[in-house]
Amino acid sequence: MSALAQNLGDYRLTVPAPSTAHAPARPAGPPPGPENFEGIVDDYQRRLYGFALRMTGNREDAEEIVQDAFVRAYRALAKMDPQQRAELRLQPWLYTITLNVTRNRLRSKRPTNVALDALADPDALLNETQEGPDQPEAIVDRAADMVLVEGALLSLPMHLRAAATLRFIEGRSHPEIAEILNQPIGTVKSHVHRAVRILRRILGPQVGRIVHADDTKETSDAVL
Amino acid sequence: MRCCDLEALWDEIRDGAAPRREHMLAHLRTCPPCQEMYEQLEGIAYCLTCLPVVEPPQSMVPKILEHLHATVRSARKPDCVAKIGSPIGPLYVAFRDTGITYVALDRNEGEECTLERIGRRLRRGVVPAQAPKWVSDTIEAFFRHHKPNYERIDISELTPFEQAALRAAAEIPVGQVRSYGWVATQIGAPNAARAVGQVMARNPVPLLYPCHRVVDSSGHLHNYEYGLDVKARILELEGYVSVRR
Repeated sequence: MSALAQNLGDYRLTVPAPSTAHAPARPAGPPPGPENFEGIVDDYQRRLYGFALRMTGNREDAEEIVQDAFVRAYRALAKMDPQQRAELRLQPWLYTITLNVTRNRLRSKRPTNVALDALADPDALLNETQEGPDQPEAIVDRAADMVLVEGALLSLPMHLRAAATLRFIEGRSHPEIAEILNQPIGTVKSHVHRAVRILRRILGPQVGRIVHADDTKETSDAVL
Repeated sequence: MRCCDLEALWDEIRDGAAPRREHMLAHLRTCPPCQEMYEQLEGIAYCLTCLPVVEPPQSMVPKILEHLHATVRSARKPDCVAKIGSPIGPLYVAFRDTGITYVALDRNEGEECTLERIGRRLRRGVVPAQAPKWVSDTIEAFFRHHKPNYERIDISELTPFEQAALRAAAEIPVGQVRSYGWVATQIGAPNAARAVGQVMARNPVPLLYPCHRVVDSSGHLHNYEYGLDVKARILELEGYVSVRR
């Protein structure tokens, strides 16, 4: 199926899907607390690492941010009373902590040195493409495209990058993002809008090329 | 629905609930420029969703759990607090294996009350104790040459910003003062002078991390937890004579 609507008679407006590569959100169970914290780490470490990586563009930073975020979350949970724990919305709360740690870290590290060649994960790209019939040059092109997209995302100011990452990569709704960022929904929508506008300016015609390259691949997959 | 609305409303309408969704769809079918814009906007969203998912290193979770266990062990063990004499009056100094964690000037409120105040600030238990040699040496060294051994002071529980601000304050030469703005600039956050002020006000190890050397931009001593007279007295001991209170 094409990534974008091709037929004007059949305009689809897609709902952003939560990233399926991450672990599912924690199922309903006992309220979070120090006694079940190892399970919480297990459930959310991939999700938070992915978010921190998109925010920083640096794997070492992302790892340390996630570690710091979990320690802070643990300390905070240990101080909460049972009612506060029962009322806690764990997932947005963990994102908020991760974002705060990220902000502190990036603030103390300015100017950010972003090694663009370290961004796109060559292993992930290879794993992703091994199953398909892609030729090596297609893999290289794809990796170069993803480095472009990552570079564009990292060039956004942090508040816009956070909004765009949560919306399009993490698949969060506007109310959820508003809760994570502690901002009014209108501000979130405005930040997402501004982020997309800047990304359009940076990526320009590359967007159509990346999308159509995938359309071509999907078509050839279908034929095969 | 107007053409100029598309860019602003596109993402809102993607969720499907917006009342203007059908209007936008109808408009899209008849407006080629908006069709092009729509393709571009959806293209941006598509590019972002295509970014590869990077798995965290396998060592990450064991490291997190190890760190958590260390935190739990550390939280259970109370800090020791010793009363030590100094040129500016008795000091209560809290310490643990990792270093000195808190310094409080005696406010004549009694030992029990002071210990309770320190425990509240550290958010863990404290027990009275005799000062081991390394603790009394660290305090003595501060009053002798005003440069303590920072390896014996533990500020690891503060946020990275707080730690950076205190470390920057420790760079101020003995006998001199600097402004909150100077500290903020040193740590790469030139607009955060007020936040630096907050950090200095909450400094758990005054004297040793010299928040007393940070003053306002006009040279006034501004503020100090134990009063401006004490701040001026400490600065005088270091060879700085303040002309403005």
